[in-house]
Amino acid sequence: MTPTSPETVSPTAPGRPTGDVAGVPVLAAREVSVRFGGLRALSDVSIEVAPASIVGLVGPNGAGKTTLFGVLSGLLRPSSGRVSLRGEDVTEASPQLRARKGLARTFQQPELFMGLTVREHLVLAHRVRFARRRLLTDMFNPRALFGSKASEDERVDALLELLDLTRVAHAPVAALPLGTSRLVEVGRALAGQPDVILLDEPLSGLDLRASENLTEVFRRVVANPDHQVSLLMVEHDVAAVLALSSTIFVLDFGELIAQGTPEHIRNDPAVRAAYLGEEPPVSRTGTDLAFNGTDAS
Amino acid sequence: MLQYVIAGLALGGIYAIASAGLVITYVSSGILNFAFGALAYFVARFYYFLHTQHGWGILPSAVVAIGLCAPAIGIVLYGILFRFMRLSSPLIKVVATVGLLVAVPSLATLIFGNQAIQAAPGLAPEPVRVFHVIGVPVTLDQVIVYCCVVATVIIGAAVLRYTDVGLKVRAMVDSPAMTGLSGTNPGAVSVGVWAVSIFFAGLAGVLAAPTIGLDPINFTILVAAAFAAVIAAKLRSLPIAVSVGLLMGIVTSLIQRYLPSDSNWTTEIVDAIPFMVIAVVLLYNLVRRGSFGDAERVGGPLDRAIVPQGESRLAGSTASALDAGSIGLLGRYAGPALLMVVATVLPLIVQGFWVGLFAQAFAYGIIFLSWTLVVGEGGMLWLCQITFAGVGALTASQLAVNHGWPVLAAIVVGGLVALPMGLIVGFLSIRLGDLYVALVTLTFGLLMENLVFTQNIFVNQGLGVNMNRPTFAGSDLAFTYLSLAAFAVVALFIVNLRRSTTGLALNAVRWSEPAAKTTGISVVQMKVLVAGLAALVAGIGGGFLAAAQTSAQPGNFATFAGIVWLAVLVTVGVRSNVAALVAGIAFVMMPSLAQAYLPTWTANIPPVLFGLGAIGVAKFPDGTLAQQGQAFRRFLQSRIDRRPAPLAVAMAGDGPTGTIPTGPSTPPAPPSPRVTQDVSP
Repeated sequence: MTPTSPETVSPTAPGRPTGDVAGVPVLAAREVSVRFGGLRALSDVSIEVAPASIVGLVGPNGAGKTTLFGVLSGLLRPSSGRVSLRGEDVTEASPQLRARKGLARTFQQPELFMGLTVREHLVLAHRVRFARRRLLTDMFNPRALFGSKASEDERVDALLELLDLTRVAHAPVAALPLGTSRLVEVGRALAGQPDVILLDEPLSGLDLRASENLTEVFRRVVANPDHQVSLLMVEHDVAAVLALSSTIFVLDFGELIAQGTPEHIRNDPAVRAAYLGEEPPVSRTGTDLAFNGTDAS
Repeated sequence: MLQYVIAGLALGGIYAIASAGLVITYVSSGILNFAFGALAYFVARFYYFLHTQHGWGILPSAVVAIGLCAPAIGIVLYGILFRFMRLSSPLIKVVATVGLLVAVPSLATLIFGNQAIQAAPGLAPEPVRVFHVIGVPVTLDQVIVYCCVVATVIIGAAVLRYTDVGLKVRAMVDSPAMTGLSGTNPGAVSVGVWAVSIFFAGLAGVLAAPTIGLDPINFTILVAAAFAAVIAAKLRSLPIAVSVGLLMGIVTSLIQRYLPSDSNWTTEIVDAIPFMVIAVVLLYNLVRRGSFGDAERVGGPLDRAIVPQGESRLAGSTASALDAGSIGLLGRYAGPALLMVVATVLPLIVQGFWVGLFAQAFAYGIIFLSWTLVVGEGGMLWLCQITFAGVGALTASQLAVNHGWPVLAAIVVGGLVALPMGLIVGFLSIRLGDLYVALVTLTFGLLMENLVFTQNIFVNQGLGVNMNRPTFAGSDLAFTYLSLAAFAVVALFIVNLRRSTTGLALNAVRWSEPAAKTTGISVVQMKVLVAGLAALVAGIGGGFLAAAQTSAQPGNFATFAGIVWLAVLVTVGVRSNVAALVAGIAFVMMPSLAQAYLPTWTANIPPVLFGLGAIGVAKFPDGTLAQQGQAFRRFLQSRIDRRPAPLAVAMAGDGPTGTIPTGPSTPPAPPSPRVTQDVSP
């Protein structure tokens, strides 16, 4: 695959402040707690995502990663704490409002729209962000009967090419295997030109080649000078997270137990204990397995 | 005062038993049984059959009808229907029970006969003894109701709390999947729950029969009233459901004390009390919390994890999505075009009375298109489309006849009056969740039927209001073609909507609300929009129906008649415009053909067939006939066009992730079985 340059898919998105405010994280959670009845799923968790960065969020099963994603994307209301997007408090904002302000996400199990083709997913996401009125006015436009001559074709096609989805562009997503479904979700998220994308285990289910391709796409999207996207990634492939991320947050039992650079996380005793148990590892081989292997859970 | 409280406890007791049965079924199986009233009627009718028609004693009749027949019905229903629906969406389950609601009363008539029943006996011997408790007269029937409520509460609580069976049932409520993994057979527990649930239905039916008579509609209204208690209990809390049921009975009785007994308004208000309770509870929750939270969720994280995405949604399935993607233009439009030609030619072939029936059939087709919009595109189950049709018909007739408006303008304005009603009901109910939309729309329909459609300006001493036809389409044949043209216009609008950005967004909302939201689509906005459009279409269809029948009769727009309409459409196909046309023709022509050419007793067969067809939605979410149509289109397509489908082209090369499953003829496993879902909180 020869990924298309992301420059071709980067117009100015509506609702976005012009230029970055120095020092303001693109996404931040401050002392977020979530309780389900008597269970405390998250306890005073604070994280930040800097502009144009890839940030990892790791932790064993049950650590609260998915809950935190729910809070960040607006699908879950926190019991306490605040969430901000480019410095603007969005704690009370609905998921759709956050999406319009530049937050996109993918799901641990791909949530696709079964009646649509791959291309229609991207077209819809693009129009929701850039031609929102069409959601309400298009049904009265008789031209819809005779097919679309959408101006977004170029951008959507470039994204399809970037993700190597061109060949299945007109296939119904109901027929796609898990790995391709993940790519469609990533494409849908990118089509809205967001400032930050929450990626929930984007590499799981992908074979080695697809995983490498997608990793490369992430790097290129983040490095795009015209439109900088940040990625917050939950991933069980710890090796990939360590390789990709500039900052990593580690959750365990709903609490933030570590944060820092990959090197810092790799050597953090609390992280090792969370993954390997309280007892220090007997052999070096065991340690390496956890942090160089593919699934630390 | 005490007299009214005691009398109210009898009615409240019946509400309480019915709501207990509804809650038990819902918490243990996720099925809100809309057929509870119909099943109660069936058992009560069987009891009458044994006791009155065949002279059996009270005890043997009660034992056989309530103790044996009712649980057996529950077991059979679970065995042949509900056990296959464990992973279906809540709305699919509701539609299946709506099918039962339509089929069971007609089935009872076929089995037990259709003789007129003046008075139904209860469990007390005739003549019913009357006791005096602190000066208040209490009948033995009422005493039996009190005893049954007390027994239900005490025995139910004891069984659930202290027995092994109760423990298993409570475990099932929390998680059927985990219960199964723990060594308990969830199927065996479910069989027991269904047997108990229908036992409650039968008990409530026999206890209620002396009060409300043996009329299936009254039974369903009674259970619709019990829904008030179930909603107050957020579908789950047995003690709250029983308490609210009892309270409603007392309040109803007390209100009767203070209202004039000779006023029509008194009857209307008393009938509407349960539905007002529903409205108050819903509004309270809406204002206080914005939603009912996760009340609709059944089972635990593991149960949700093993539900494949979109396999069994209302108005769509993964297989049908694949099918739609594989059919070319010819395969897609040849069938509808052919049917339109047939529909155009048929009125020319038939004569007289039958031509007028086609005008009605096409008007029904327009009304059915409103469900095509709201169910097929919106993915919601609305049970009051007939009410919007009634609003359209009554408004149009008032404007055209009493105010001299041009007929077509009156019909359009009738639709425009229904439009804001759809928007408001949608806005109030949609954020509460899918099940509540069904309940709220049912309630709205019954409220309108009781409070608005009963006004004399519409009823006109039982004669209804005459409705004109446009002067250029005064004859049956001309108006038939005008109706068909109106149907075509609405159908083309829906086709256009599907292919537009609006349609893409509605599709997104229908298949994954979380993903739609995080893509920036307002789920409530899109659903309210389609609900309003559907109300508009139903209103216009109602106007055409009134013009076809040359009168607007409020009685023709009863809520439960609308449920039969829905069953007809669901049987044929709820996502297809053509299916709406076929459903309209079938609904009008089948009874008339049966009446003209078949023995009288066969009149009850079409409702049974339509009911069974609606039950079939569990297997074919697109509708049984639509499923056959898809198979035919695939065959046609394969004969005419042997080019590979786009997916097949895509599969020819190396996909980015390796092997891609085979084509649409072999639907693949769903792309996202949630077996690996993180079940952490």
